Amino acid sequence: MYGWRGRIGLLVPSINTTMETEFWRIAPEGVSVHTARIAGGREGTPEELRNMENASKKAAEEVGMVEPDVVVYGCTSGSFFEGPAWNKKICEQLTAITKAPTVTTAGAMVACLMAGGHKKVDVVTPYVEVTNERLKQFAKAHGVEVAKLGTFDMLDMFDHAKILPEEIYAKVKEMTTPDSEAVFVACTQLRALEVLDMLERDLGKPVYSAVQASAWQAYAAMNVDPKIMDCGSLLRKLSEPDSHKIAVKHLRSA
Amino acid sequence: MSRIGLLVPSSNTTVEPEFYRALPNEVTLHVARLHLSQIATDSIAGMVSDIEQRSRDLATADVDVIVLGAAAPSFLKGLGYDREMAKKIEAASGKRATTTSTALVEALKHLGVSRVVLGAAYDDKVNAIAKNFLEVNGFNVLAAHGLGLVDNLVVGRLDASSAYDLARKIDRPDAEAIVLACTNWKTMDVIERLERELNKPVLSTTQVSIWAALRAIGRVEGVPGYGRLLRDLAAPSKQTQLA
Repeated sequence: MYGWRGRIGLLVPSINTTMETEFWRIAPEGVSVHTARIAGGREGTPEELRNMENASKKAAEEVGMVEPDVVVYGCTSGSFFEGPAWNKKICEQLTAITKAPTVTTAGAMVACLMAGGHKKVDVVTPYVEVTNERLKQFAKAHGVEVAKLGTFDMLDMFDHAKILPEEIYAKVKEMTTPDSEAVFVACTQLRALEVLDMLERDLGKPVYSAVQASAWQAYAAMNVDPKIMDCGSLLRKLSEPDSHKIAVKHLRSA
Repeated sequence: MSRIGLLVPSSNTTVEPEFYRALPNEVTLHVARLHLSQIATDSIAGMVSDIEQRSRDLATADVDVIVLGAAAPSFLKGLGYDREMAKKIEAASGKRATTTSTALVEALKHLGVSRVVLGAAYDDKVNAIAKNFLEVNGFNVLAAHGLGLVDNLVVGRLDASSAYDLARKIDRPDAEAIVLACTNWKTMDVIERLERELNKPVLSTTQVSIWAALRAIGRVEGVPGYGRLLRDLAAPSKQTQLA
């Protein structure tokens, strides 16, 4: 069977065109990605983000049929919007449906920041103000302060994928200050993965992204070392001894 | 950049990886799933109950074409059922659509083939429907053999050698081509070898679906490694030449 080493059940907002592409691009031999879509519209309004929690259950029923080793709820705002308890509820619901451990992007975001020991980080998002405020609150609830936040300020979630990797690179570089310990690029629709390595080299500090952090937790949950060497230090760490245990520990605590 | 939308039976573990592997880098794949566990007629008929919603979901990702990447769910009710499904998808999504079974008919016509042998993962009941679908579309099915499987997850666990072995077993000199049916059955890795050894086109339902998707987005550069159909995307149709 394809995915003999690990099958990832990936739930994406229906408009998302980036995450399944990036997950496939980094999948090593023996790992397969099986996608289901969370029904919804283009605009990331509070109502739309809240509806995703319910709509994700049907997508989980569909992807659960491939007997996945891990399920990824691939949306940052759709998992942090109503806070940590809501995120936890999503995890529990999807695990009950699929019988697999669930990773959410918001959970992965705080887990990677906590694993890095970061207390103060800069964040880049495509979100509008109400969503950015919710992100800050979610991070704060996990002991992480958002020092500076840079945004592309776009409500249309489909259009987030039109932002080019070089524009993300420029945004991160211009907004971050030496004051922060790391940078997180939120939103699984942003094509950040391919510039993370360059940003880390050029800024001299860790730079994470939503897709990357989700993949980090997913591979850790499957106990698979994907040997991904060109998508930032976080994924490279999966190839170090005992790294899986660290990621799994934070999966449970976040 | 082009985007292909693919509707996949929920328990199918094969068609998604095989599409990804064959597609060029500039083409991305976006998947939605439809509930299916058993390859049995009632289960297959029920699979399409969500087809409009899931087609609309793919339309929100602004895909250029939507492919119903499932053989039995697009041939289940005989002549024209495949096009009926495509029309349903188009009406719901506003996007162009095709199906695996439509692609199979088009690919056989494209190659100018009329006499085939059919190998499938299915049980006799579903395989008889597959055979009938090809016959009412004008093809002569000289022989049809199925592996007798109903549980779709079990089909996904088969090794590609099962497709190779069945193709070798059913081939006969008067068959102009071999058809391997079921998009959850690993076939892509044995097509090239079979064509070399048997010296005739080998069509699999996954391969023809990829072919139809690439043609729908106007792709002319071929994809090597999966038989002559995908290798020669720009090749003129045999049928067109005759006409």
